[in-house]
Amino acid sequence: MEVTEASLLLRRRLCDPSYIHSIFKSSPDGNYSKLKFIISNSINEACNNSVLLLGPRGNGKSAVLELVLADLKVEHPGIISVVKLNGLLHGDNNNGLKEIARQLCLEFDLPFSKMASSDENSELLIDILRECGLAHKTVIFTLEEFDLFTQGKQRVLYSLLDALQFLTSQAVVIGLSCRLDADQLLEKRVRSRFSHRKLLFITPLKDDMQRLLEHLLLLPKETNLSSIYVVEFNSRLYKILDSKEFKYHLKKVIDIDNNISNLVMFLYRAVCSMDLKSGFLSLENFKKAISYFHPYPKQESLRNSSILEFYILVCMNRLDAKEQISFNFNSIMNEYKAIMDAYKTSDNYTRNVCLRAFEHLLERGLIMLTDNNVRCQSIEFRPVKSLISPQELHQALKAYNPCPVLLLKSFNNECFK
Amino acid sequence: MIREEEGTPRRMTRSNLCEPKTPIQATSIKKTSSQFDQTNALPVSSVCMTLDDLHASLPGRRMQVEEILNLLGPLDSPMLPLFLYGGTSTGKTRTIVQIFHHLNRPFVYVSCLSCQTPKILFESVLDQLASHKRNSGNGYSSFKQCDRSSDFLELLRDAVFSWRQKSSNVCGVRKEGNGKMIYLIVDNLEVIRHWGKNSELLSLLFKIHDITRIMDLGLIYISCNAGPEIYYSSASSTEPVPIFFPDYTEEELHQILLRNHENPKLYNSFLKLVLKPFFRVTRRVDELSLAFKPLFQKYCEPLTDLSVIPDVSLTRELYQRLRPHIAFSLDEIFMVTTRFSADATETSEKTIVRKRNARKLVCEELDFHMSISAKYLLVSAFLASRNPATLDASMFDTKGDIGKQKRKRKNSETTMQKENTKAHEMLMKGPGSFSLERLLAIFQCITSVSDICVDEDNEEVVGDDNEVGLMSDVLLQLSTLCDANFITKGGSCPLESTRYRSSIDEDMISKVARTINFPLSKYLYRG
Repeated sequence: MEVTEASLLLRRRLCDPSYIHSIFKSSPDGNYSKLKFIISNSINEACNNSVLLLGPRGNGKSAVLELVLADLKVEHPGIISVVKLNGLLHGDNNNGLKEIARQLCLEFDLPFSKMASSDENSELLIDILRECGLAHKTVIFTLEEFDLFTQGKQRVLYSLLDALQFLTSQAVVIGLSCRLDADQLLEKRVRSRFSHRKLLFITPLKDDMQRLLEHLLLLPKETNLSSIYVVEFNSRLYKILDSKEFKYHLKKVIDIDNNISNLVMFLYRAVCSMDLKSGFLSLENFKKAISYFHPYPKQESLRNSSILEFYILVCMNRLDAKEQISFNFNSIMNEYKAIMDAYKTSDNYTRNVCLRAFEHLLERGLIMLTDNNVRCQSIEFRPVKSLISPQELHQALKAYNPCPVLLLKSFNNECFK
Repeated sequence: MIREEEGTPRRMTRSNLCEPKTPIQATSIKKTSSQFDQTNALPVSSVCMTLDDLHASLPGRRMQVEEILNLLGPLDSPMLPLFLYGGTSTGKTRTIVQIFHHLNRPFVYVSCLSCQTPKILFESVLDQLASHKRNSGNGYSSFKQCDRSSDFLELLRDAVFSWRQKSSNVCGVRKEGNGKMIYLIVDNLEVIRHWGKNSELLSLLFKIHDITRIMDLGLIYISCNAGPEIYYSSASSTEPVPIFFPDYTEEELHQILLRNHENPKLYNSFLKLVLKPFFRVTRRVDELSLAFKPLFQKYCEPLTDLSVIPDVSLTRELYQRLRPHIAFSLDEIFMVTTRFSADATETSEKTIVRKRNARKLVCEELDFHMSISAKYLLVSAFLASRNPATLDASMFDTKGDIGKQKRKRKNSETTMQKENTKAHEMLMKGPGSFSLERLLAIFQCITSVSDICVDEDNEEVVGDDNEVGLMSDVLLQLSTLCDANFITKGGSCPLESTRYRSSIDEDMISKVARTINFPLSKYLYRG
């Protein structure tokens, strides 16, 4: 029972981005403190402000923002209202303004009209902002996927930022984007109304990683888990974290991708494979978790190809090596026939069978048709190109267990003479 | 006949997920996938499946099953989104659905194959969450109208919330075991990539977890043939946990195909013979089971008693009888039905159906009825597609002889070689396009040459006096042929005249030529 609870706790932590990023709360020069300072400043001084949070996906932009907002709501009860927008959902301008109006109406108990035009909605926005300013209430707009708001006429952004120009209003616009050049996408009239404050979220440093691991995996002392179990669990975990082997594996994970989300996925897999009987995390769990990382996804689907499909790939490779600029199924078929004529083998299949194998390869995404428009042209005439390199093919052929000798031979003939 | 069955196995494997079955038996049961979606809204099966049953029902998938069970975790444990991927017919959907039957947890299943627009997809999810069934009582309307993605997320949040309340009310009576987690399975994600404008939907689906922050909603994505790297651009901050389904190995295929057979020993001996050659071509269960069905019937033909247990000599004898059929059946079964690319299939379902019908017509009735002039037109279209336009003059010069031309070419070997490669390239490029004028000119030529046989059939097509009548007739024939898809019409550029292209293969045209005694080979340029 205790063990299940512990694993549940760990899972819950790993699935909750705000918990993951709460570790960065404490550092004084972290993004958390900076963002909090900016927002609380504009609350205290009753001014308008705008800021962009930029950084790759999975580095905790929205999680940090959420933490900040939650804290500020506690510190300044009753005077903060938040309007959340997402570029994916509300990117086009009618939708955006309508959503703003809807959320504001909900916040201030006003009747919301679905039929209102966008002009009416933007008027409503200005009115509410003015009223809020008079009542010393701050409205915070968070725009996730900020770059998607910049498509088209940018009317949502314009009307939002334009409303911020009034002295009486008191609002903060926070944009989140994974495009580092998001502010360059703005139109001139929008850009001039935007304050160019940016916070950059970068991947954590190595020391932070270590802290993060402990933050995520150590069991807390003050729970209903028995203290003996917690102490035992933690001491074992420390041993693992300090071991050389674990550090080696961790480095491998980070080398592939040093995003926090990648690390979390790694830990999640490890925690999920935790043995519920013993109830402790072991090095084996982490090793198992790393075995699932496939840095070369193409190899996987290549390894699953049948022998005939390999023949076709080899033929394409030979054509490539002959420096034929473009080729199609017919030329591949000729090449295949040439191989089959040269050597007597059981793998001599008819055209129909080969065409089917060819289609399988297309489906697997190992080869692709290079023209895109011709609808009426039959598939065997359309030019095609291979999406795998000779090295990859060579590796796959070597790894393929009972690989026919002829296949390797016809591949080697052309490539590594 | 074979081609009709082609499309169905995938569907059927999807539709019969709930019942334990073998791939082979599945081919005989017919259901539509929409039925699956409707009848199994939040299925919670009454019969509990033990872990052993689960493993037994999914041969070769032990690793994946264990891993998914681990990742799903015990009751009510939150989870990161999962992402199942692997080749076609590797048991992805079946595995996940069977696991949920084993765990006895509620889930919502939507497939992007049966929900072809975002609206249908959204409404199907919401319907299932609300246990809403479309019937004549409610005019087959959905539970909630939902067109926009922003509405969908709001409604989804509400629906999950109300579902939880409802189930917790009932749960007082019901035995515990369902928990408060509900799972959303989105199948065939790869289809959405071709929806074009709606590719935003893909990032929306991946971001459900991020945007809604519903901890009680477990998300499972299934994608066929497209690994996680394909979706990288639309991924969210919490990347789904990838789980790879490799293709079955030979032993696993043997095991799968052997299941639920009346006479496993006999089938075993059969599989030992045929699986190896077929395995070199394809590793898909659906294709293999389809291919083996007629072959096994052939195999059993000499047997009077199907329950016989074969000994060595009998097996050998049966093998001798079967052997010639294997290569033939390979050719027959794996014939590619639609010669058109995959993306075209997705974009224009209707035209494909038409095209398929056209092809079927050609192959099944070799002597279908067609007017003589249409046949000539078809032949001339084929010639126009195959022959380079520059050679038309010498080919159809009624007075000139072809022998002279041959002599001329023999003169220099290098030029001949050059022309050889050129012609070869042309064959590679496929049927060329031609203008209407050229088609009519060739038509004129070949009909005037073979006047005699036309006269025999009392079909006066050519004649100087009724040229206008002929023209209109031919144009009508041409449009008919276009509709039947023997000739395809190219894109109509306003500056140029419409280009045509013949889309039938050589076997077919030679059959047509034979029916009108037309010496096709004489006019066909072969480099």
